[in-house]
Amino acid sequence: MLRAAKAGVSIAAACSVSYWIYDSTAPRLSQKEGEPMTLPDFSIPGLGPKMSIVVGPDRVRTVNRALKAIGGIESFVKRGDRILLKVNAAFATPPMLSATTNPQLLAEVVRLCLKAGASSVVVTDNPINDPTSCFALTGIAEAAASAGARVLMPDERFFRPTTVSGGTLIREWPLLHGPFKGTNKLIGIAPVKDHHRSGASMSMKNWYGLLGGRRNLLHQDIHNTIKELAMMVTPTLVILDGTTTMMTNGPTGGSLGDLKGTNTMIVSTDQVAADAFGATLLGKPLSQLTYISKAASLGLGTADYGSLKPVRESAG
Amino acid sequence: MTVEPTKSETYVGFGILVVLAAIAVGVFLKQSHYNPAIFVGGGITSIQSEAGLSRDFLVQVAEGMVPLSPPEIFGPENLSDKIDGKAELYLSAGFLNLLCQRFAEKEDPRSWMEAFVYDMGTVRRAFAVYSVQRRADAANVDLTGFAYGTENALFFVHGRYYVELIAAVTTERVAEAMRSFGHSFITKTQVSDERIDELSLFPREGLAEHSIRLLISDAFGFDRFDNVFTANYTLEDTELTAFLSQREDSSEASELLAAYHTFLIANGGADVKWDRGIPGTKLVNIFDTFEVIFSHGKFLGGVHGAEDRGKAEKLAVTLRQKLSGAGS
Repeated sequence: MLRAAKAGVSIAAACSVSYWIYDSTAPRLSQKEGEPMTLPDFSIPGLGPKMSIVVGPDRVRTVNRALKAIGGIESFVKRGDRILLKVNAAFATPPMLSATTNPQLLAEVVRLCLKAGASSVVVTDNPINDPTSCFALTGIAEAAASAGARVLMPDERFFRPTTVSGGTLIREWPLLHGPFKGTNKLIGIAPVKDHHRSGASMSMKNWYGLLGGRRNLLHQDIHNTIKELAMMVTPTLVILDGTTTMMTNGPTGGSLGDLKGTNTMIVSTDQVAADAFGATLLGKPLSQLTYISKAASLGLGTADYGSLKPVRESAG
Repeated sequence: MTVEPTKSETYVGFGILVVLAAIAVGVFLKQSHYNPAIFVGGGITSIQSEAGLSRDFLVQVAEGMVPLSPPEIFGPENLSDKIDGKAELYLSAGFLNLLCQRFAEKEDPRSWMEAFVYDMGTVRRAFAVYSVQRRADAANVDLTGFAYGTENALFFVHGRYYVELIAAVTTERVAEAMRSFGHSFITKTQVSDERIDELSLFPREGLAEHSIRLLISDAFGFDRFDNVFTANYTLEDTELTAFLSQREDSSEASELLAAYHTFLIANGGADVKWDRGIPGTKLVNIFDTFEVIFSHGKFLGGVHGAEDRGKAEKLAVTLRQKLSGAGS
């Protein structure tokens, strides 16, 4: 009896210790990074949803035309604004593969922001691959620097845990917060791509690059994850580059044969609408990209992009 | 009656508890320092794949090319750190590891290529990931039985390995470097002589060249349909898709036929009278297309998603005859 009692006490003690050290929360940063935080709403109050779709092969011309069609860059960037450009620099691949944000487009957007009076423009992403290689080989670092922007690559100090209010997946998850310091406008610039897991990678999926940690775990429920990314981020503007669309073998592609010249630039304050239109470039029905309707059902935007009466122009 | 432990038992027991406590403290400390935000699989310099793949990519590199980055290796646990959402394609096919490295021309670092060597374990699995990614603009390349090139890349299967060579530019010099790498890799990497028997079981008439694919899982949206070969046909200007799957034995093939038939009916399909012989064959009309399914020995075969009933029936019969003729 005595030995049984001792064994019982030992087991109870072991269980107590296990319970004491058990971490029931999602992956998180070490405790010194501070309190959880959320991103502010970067949209412009009272502006309402705007969208333009411009056809043409030259990104510089189409993005200028698309911005002008919805009031010009000055409607979104004011003198003294501090701009954060969230690019897609996920892979260390060359620009011609269109797996990442086009450097020429990025440079033009930086130039436009500075011309509109922005006091600073920062370019950031937390790539899948080695950040230095990604920013260098995609041409993004050089394009940003040459146009006058500062590139902020992910650093351990830049992450803080975030929880999406009302979300179930992004909870206490590491967020690339550092580049947001002082920022008051956020613009996403992403290419239109096929994606093996989610069907497409466009404006909303682009925010995935703001997460750290073992984010591949989120691929297990990718559509709800993208929906929560749209809940997490309310941008000032998104620029969806459908000049060259990766039709197959995304998100990495690899061959020029994966690409199709679709010659379309989309600019919108409604990221859901932008992605809904982007789906048409991929030739995919919205039923295949369920994150779009999920986001729309939460009021994060509209999947019926036509209801925004997008300005359609040609810059051929 | 109680038996008191001896002193040595007590000491051993105490020692075990001390060790367990030390392990618990170690786990606790390690967990405290784990930072998922920056935790990524690090590149390594010494690489050894399961099959003894060359540790040194340099031996494959063409004259005039130099390493642009160190070699990296990724396993199932961190493949997505390299290829993000496409990892699932490889993982579901039995991926073992990926070895990759970038090389550039000595004179021009902007002229670079990256070599990806996926160890899939078997030629069948390597063929699976090769075949489902085959590009529309593929041009035949005389490298291995499964090889093609595009404007900027070279893709091939060598035994258990699926290899991608992807260039950042479309110059002839880098294209030559990729071809050189491919030849060198094939020459220097020993593989077993495995064959994929199903490839020769599809009828040749009307078969679209290089259209045979191996779907490892969830073929046609049916979660029990794994290891299904498909082939595209053009019969009198009508495009059709035939399929074939080798099962463990005839009873499994028959059982899977019944399960797939049930799946089709449950999803809105309706049986249509089949009058072309081949007992047990099912013909189903679903979403205005026709699905033919039959079993023959340990094979399950048929035609998927055909718009023309007559041609679907004809192709199914031809496929069945081919299987019989091959003694399968």
